[in-house]
Amino acid sequence: MSELNTAEAPGNKQRVVILGGGTAGWMTAAALVRLLPHACTVRLVESAEIGIVGVGEATLPHLRAFVESLGIDEADFMRATHATFKLGIDFRDFGKIGDSYIHPFGDFGRELNGVDFHHYWLRMRAAGRQDDLFDYSVANVMAASKRFAPPSTDPGSLLSAYGYAYQFDATLFGPYLRAYAEKRGARRTEGKVVNVEVNPETGDLAALRMESGERVEGDLFVDCSGFISLLLGRTLGEEWEDWSHWLPCDRAVALPCTSPPGPIEPYTRATAMEAGWRWRIPLQHRVGNGYVYSSSHISDDAAADALVASVEGRPMADPRVLKFRAGRRRRSWVKNVVAVGLASGFLEPLESTSIYLVQAAITQLVELFPSGRVEEADRREYNRLVDLEYDRIRDFLILHYHATTRDDSSFWNHVRTMEVPDSLAEKMELFRHAGRVAKYTQGLFLQPSWIAVYVGQGIVPHGWDQRAEAARPDRLGAAMDSLRREIQQAVASLPDHREFIARRNAAVSETS
Amino acid sequence: MSLGEERAIRSIVVVGAGIVGVSAAMSFIRALPRVRVSIIEVPPDPAALADRLTGSLPAIGAFHAMVGVDELDLVRGGAATHHLGTRFERWSADGEPWYHAFGEYGTAGGRAAFHQLWARAQRAKQALPYYRYSMAAVLAEAGKFVHPSDELNSPFSSFNYALRIDPDRYHAELVARAQTLPLSHMQAEIGGVQRTENGGVSALLLKDGHRVEADLFIDCAGPSAPVASALSERFEDWGESLPCDRLLLGSSKAGQFSSSDLAAATSVGWRWASPLGGRQMVGLAYASSVTGEARARRVLASEAGVEEAEAVAIRTGRRPEPWTHNVLAVGDAAIAVDALQGVNLHLAQSAIRRALELLPGRDCHPLELREYNRRTKQETRRVRDFLALHYLRSGRSKGELWQALAARSLPNSLAHSVEQFEARGRLPFYEEESFDKQSWLAVLIGIGLLPRQVDPIAAALREDEAAAWMQRMADGITQEAARVPPYRDYLGRMLQPPTRRG
Repeated sequence: MSELNTAEAPGNKQRVVILGGGTAGWMTAAALVRLLPHACTVRLVESAEIGIVGVGEATLPHLRAFVESLGIDEADFMRATHATFKLGIDFRDFGKIGDSYIHPFGDFGRELNGVDFHHYWLRMRAAGRQDDLFDYSVANVMAASKRFAPPSTDPGSLLSAYGYAYQFDATLFGPYLRAYAEKRGARRTEGKVVNVEVNPETGDLAALRMESGERVEGDLFVDCSGFISLLLGRTLGEEWEDWSHWLPCDRAVALPCTSPPGPIEPYTRATAMEAGWRWRIPLQHRVGNGYVYSSSHISDDAAADALVASVEGRPMADPRVLKFRAGRRRRSWVKNVVAVGLASGFLEPLESTSIYLVQAAITQLVELFPSGRVEEADRREYNRLVDLEYDRIRDFLILHYHATTRDDSSFWNHVRTMEVPDSLAEKMELFRHAGRVAKYTQGLFLQPSWIAVYVGQGIVPHGWDQRAEAARPDRLGAAMDSLRREIQQAVASLPDHREFIARRNAAVSETS
Repeated sequence: MSLGEERAIRSIVVVGAGIVGVSAAMSFIRALPRVRVSIIEVPPDPAALADRLTGSLPAIGAFHAMVGVDELDLVRGGAATHHLGTRFERWSADGEPWYHAFGEYGTAGGRAAFHQLWARAQRAKQALPYYRYSMAAVLAEAGKFVHPSDELNSPFSSFNYALRIDPDRYHAELVARAQTLPLSHMQAEIGGVQRTENGGVSALLLKDGHRVEADLFIDCAGPSAPVASALSERFEDWGESLPCDRLLLGSSKAGQFSSSDLAAATSVGWRWASPLGGRQMVGLAYASSVTGEARARRVLASEAGVEEAEAVAIRTGRRPEPWTHNVLAVGDAAIAVDALQGVNLHLAQSAIRRALELLPGRDCHPLELREYNRRTKQETRRVRDFLALHYLRSGRSKGELWQALAARSLPNSLAHSVEQFEARGRLPFYEEESFDKQSWLAVLIGIGLLPRQVDPIAAALREDEAAAWMQRMADGITQEAARVPPYRDYLGRMLQPPTRRG
């Protein structure tokens, strides 16, 4: 409805103060100036002395909706952040050493008579058919052949059954959004916060006191200060819920390297290591590498050595160690403080969820944005939604560690034998027993993702949907053969990933 | 024998041969051709409302596709007519009528949701009634119907429809189709059950002395649930939220063909009228704790002119675990609600589809049943909430029932929805909703609730321009709806034998 114009701004805008200028801070600022220009003013306070974590280089398909909602041109954004396309994650050595599977952003096969494809695959497998479920995933086949094209908009096309995300330089994403937000009225204040003023009557935050003596007042404060959680954790004292007994990795050592020549993988690689796992994220101009590990199972030096020994390409910097812990603040929105990103919680990057969690927090904040005083009902609802996101992701991450037969290190012995949350134990049992994935529609990682990790890590169900027995095995086998061929043919017609990016970049240069 | 066959259910006995029982038997036999399905016709339970009422939801179309029933055949045989919405009368604080229709209300104004723009305009007395922005509701008000268009830009693409069924004829149509399937049928009464060691049922003991074994028993026999009750008497009572526990069921001759039902609140409860062409089904729902039967009959007689009606007692609530061991309860055997919003048969159809989707192995392993029961609980809880909203927040204060309800509190999940809506016009997400956001909004707004805050995104749009745009939208709908022929004519055209194919 383009015919409706924006009204004159009323006087009672909420003054939003964002603390922290990393990815979370600038994503929040960009979204607020774009989506709620009428309801708030945005001021972002950051200090150049405090570094940003910025390891979230691999993302999930949801980020596309975020970029789109800001009205950002994808090709321009990808060129600016040296981004590549991502069709999934290649997990190596997780279920056992030598295993490899891609968790693809897309479906497996096609539903037939209302029954999901994997049930037919299970039935035929039990009857002796030997093939790989992942051959029926377009995204997987495409990723493996290092090709890429955006999905078809024709829902009948095989090439419509997948999504994609980006792999980009996170240290460039923040500045890109900063330029965007500042152009649309976000005000940036450089400097260190020395004190936080709390209204003694209400307990709400009143202002940030800067080293310069300036007092930055606000109605709503967004804490994007990172792990330190200066407003929510330090000032309001919100309790931390620790999940390190399930997710013991608490450090990462990162090492960017030069790109090897040849095709660029449209996927992130996660390779299980002695005390954790190692990422490999190919960007346009370099490859991001890092080893996520548990400090009680390996020393920093040994981890760095293992990383250096395993990377391809020439290192472009010294290894850099980051510390973190898995868990979250009990509540993310307390009083007039909303924590977004690491200030609210942390789940390790095994499934590239960090930026997604930032995005989910922003989406809920926009939806529940206060028009006057913050209402308790809104805080409660916000926290309920954040809990739901965290709980779902937590279980999914734990699955990657727990579904293993590895017994070659103390780390893998620990995660293989540890007790997992009941919610996960039940999901695993249900799949093992009947090939069924506990259904939900809200939250991250729906059925195909769970199937990918279960099957990819060696959990093969004993049972399947009985309706799959209705089809004749010979006909079913022929149909599966032909589907697999169709997928191979469709993918073979797609451009090479590196070439596709080069063409897109060239097109941007011409128009700009 | 394959691993799949070792594990598979081989035989199913459906108990109850009403609409629900026949629907279940047909569904299972079509999806699982290797399974022996038999149906035991037990004496009908008068309180099996899913077998007796006219209502359905739009999902009935997908259900019919699954069981191989053709809409045109049903309509031609007088077993169904099209249903776009329901007119609610005296069911709000101001007493203005409103419509719950199966379609969109308004279109979004850029990023601003339509209902948020409407709420702001309503505060400024600049808005027409909410339903006037819904094509389905405007057509329903006129009693008209057309099939929705597939063309995205068509004014008739914004809605869906359900079927209003004539229970007797619909049942007969189903039975006629079932007779073409390899389905064995017997008439009997259940005398008892024989249990297995693990607590399930190995066989039904019929009063005529026969014994019927099966791997799975599906109890579609209404609230008395002779098989399910043998395993567990547990029942979650919803009387606090859904107070009407008595129905008077009757019919009258005055029916016209119409795409709209009537639901009118009365001092003792509410009454309905569901036109079927030659006649209309009418009824009254009331609470026995507040109103006696004689008074309820007088209300029905004076308001609907119906003197003769059958009194039916129900108990609203649900079986907390509708699938226990190898016994699955479906329909009123699993969940009992009154006739409001015509959801009874829908819940049975939805249970059948879910049971097929999650059909366990022969051992009916608790893990598999747990997923079925978990999702069913989510679904039935939200149906209870949706219906309870009509009773507990109607805004209506006149009349003995409504006064008795004034002090009752809302179930938590409903309170959460109402709280979010009243604060800012937002609807929190729940899994397994039977009624979509458009339906929730139609009822919340219909009964007279309004958000306290103007949505910040709606507030960003100019009020005068938004009002003019809304006016054009409503005018457009009115004009387009006026071109639609009367329902009787539309039906007549639809039922003509096809003269050409195109």
